[in-house]
Amino acid sequence: MENKIHKNRIISFINLNWGIILILILWEFWVVVNDFNPIVMPSPEGVLLDLIQNPIIYIENSAVTFSIAVVGLFGGMLIGTTLAIMTWFSPLLSGLINPTAVLLSSVPVVSLIPIIARILGYNMATEIILVVIITFFPSFVFTTAGLRALPPGSQDLFTSLGASRISTLKKLALPAAFPNLAIALRLAAAHAILAAMIAEFLMGTNGLGYLFAVTKQEFLTERAFGTSVIATVISVIAFLASSHFENNVKKRFT
Amino acid sequence: MLSQIFPNKNFIYGILGLTSFFIFWQIIGHFQLAGLSLPSLTDVLNFLFDPERHALFIRAIGATFQSAVMGFLAGALVGIFLASSVQILPILKNGSDRFAAVINSVPSIALGPIFLILIDREATPAGVASIHVFFIVYVSMSSGLSSASREHEDLFTIFGASRIKQFWSLNLPYSAPAIVSGLRLSWPAALIGAIIGEWFGAARGIGILIINAMQNFQINLLWSAVLLAAMMSLLFFGLMTFFERLTYQRFR
Repeated sequence: MENKIHKNRIISFINLNWGIILILILWEFWVVVNDFNPIVMPSPEGVLLDLIQNPIIYIENSAVTFSIAVVGLFGGMLIGTTLAIMTWFSPLLSGLINPTAVLLSSVPVVSLIPIIARILGYNMATEIILVVIITFFPSFVFTTAGLRALPPGSQDLFTSLGASRISTLKKLALPAAFPNLAIALRLAAAHAILAAMIAEFLMGTNGLGYLFAVTKQEFLTERAFGTSVIATVISVIAFLASSHFENNVKKRFT
Repeated sequence: MLSQIFPNKNFIYGILGLTSFFIFWQIIGHFQLAGLSLPSLTDVLNFLFDPERHALFIRAIGATFQSAVMGFLAGALVGIFLASSVQILPILKNGSDRFAAVINSVPSIALGPIFLILIDREATPAGVASIHVFFIVYVSMSSGLSSASREHEDLFTIFGASRIKQFWSLNLPYSAPAIVSGLRLSWPAALIGAIIGEWFGAARGIGILIINAMQNFQINLLWSAVLLAAMMSLLFFGLMTFFERLTYQRFR
């Protein structure tokens, strides 16, 4: 009996993670067949060993990147949502802002990083602002759409009962926009970590992106890969957590 | 007649908004309110359209465009193939969702060095671009494939259609709009991937211009490169939006 439960657990683990297991096997196989020097291409166990032996370096830099990403994410979501609400109040403002936002959102943001770094200086505040800019667009676009996608007839009900614009916003439009806001969070969360890392890579003084740049230059390839693995894990967790949150919000609000 | 030229009030507001954005930029740049790093729009445009630099810019655009298109095609093919396979073999679905999410979470700056070893230096930008595209196409296509209605699926089952038959005649046509939307959204991502990939030792391209301009403080060159990237993104995005409308009309 116990054996069977054990077996089922293994099967469902493989069912969920076969892709990742496949990557690890191919990686190991590839390194062994080509007989790569660890400087060129480390093996999975070499990377794991470096991760286990130097936890402090990884934890410190992850903490920096993570805080930049989180602060930037909430800043971007706050600004995006506020602006979306402002455009909901004023059709003029909405007309003025929307096309510019669409134009800016199609600019490859990565190409803006050097410019923003030049204007604001090479420091942590700039890295946060970059994450804010990158996470701003999804929250603005999705909240704007959500505030307008009201259940049919509900607007008429609010108007005929003489609800003020503010109470319509609070009781109708905002709850209606909440699922969209959750989608924006999911899109932005995984992105925020990676954006913070690119910013650190280009101009950083610390954090995972900086650690990656430095270790790559010094041919500490195992550590560079370890850095990537950590960043991947953090952003997968961010992605899964925000997907979970989105599902809950969907259930609650629709 | 007038309403055809000016479709609606929002259109005029939009033009107003864009114009004031550019004027705002021009004023800040002209009086150097944000320091030397933000030149006026006309300065950048003069630099961009200077005939002396045409050859340089055209080479860079050509290289980045080629990488982005190659990455776009490769990523889209893999994404479509994987999404179709797990639709036919649903037992693999959970694992492949997780696989796609993990692949997408690998930082693109870490993909660069891996592709340098995996494929050659010139193909690295396309490789990084393909990863970005793969995820977006995969996610949008799988949601499109699962959007076929329950009743239709039951009908196919009752008539004893095989999973492959059901895929070709039901799920695939249903997913067409989602695939096209995914392709449209993944184009800017392909460009970003190509630009980042070029940082790892490509010979030419927009990414090289950006890095060089940043390191040598050539502000006008930096802004020109950014404008070029934006234009490439917008042009193709517009084209795909048009294509998307056609697909929606046909399949919905």
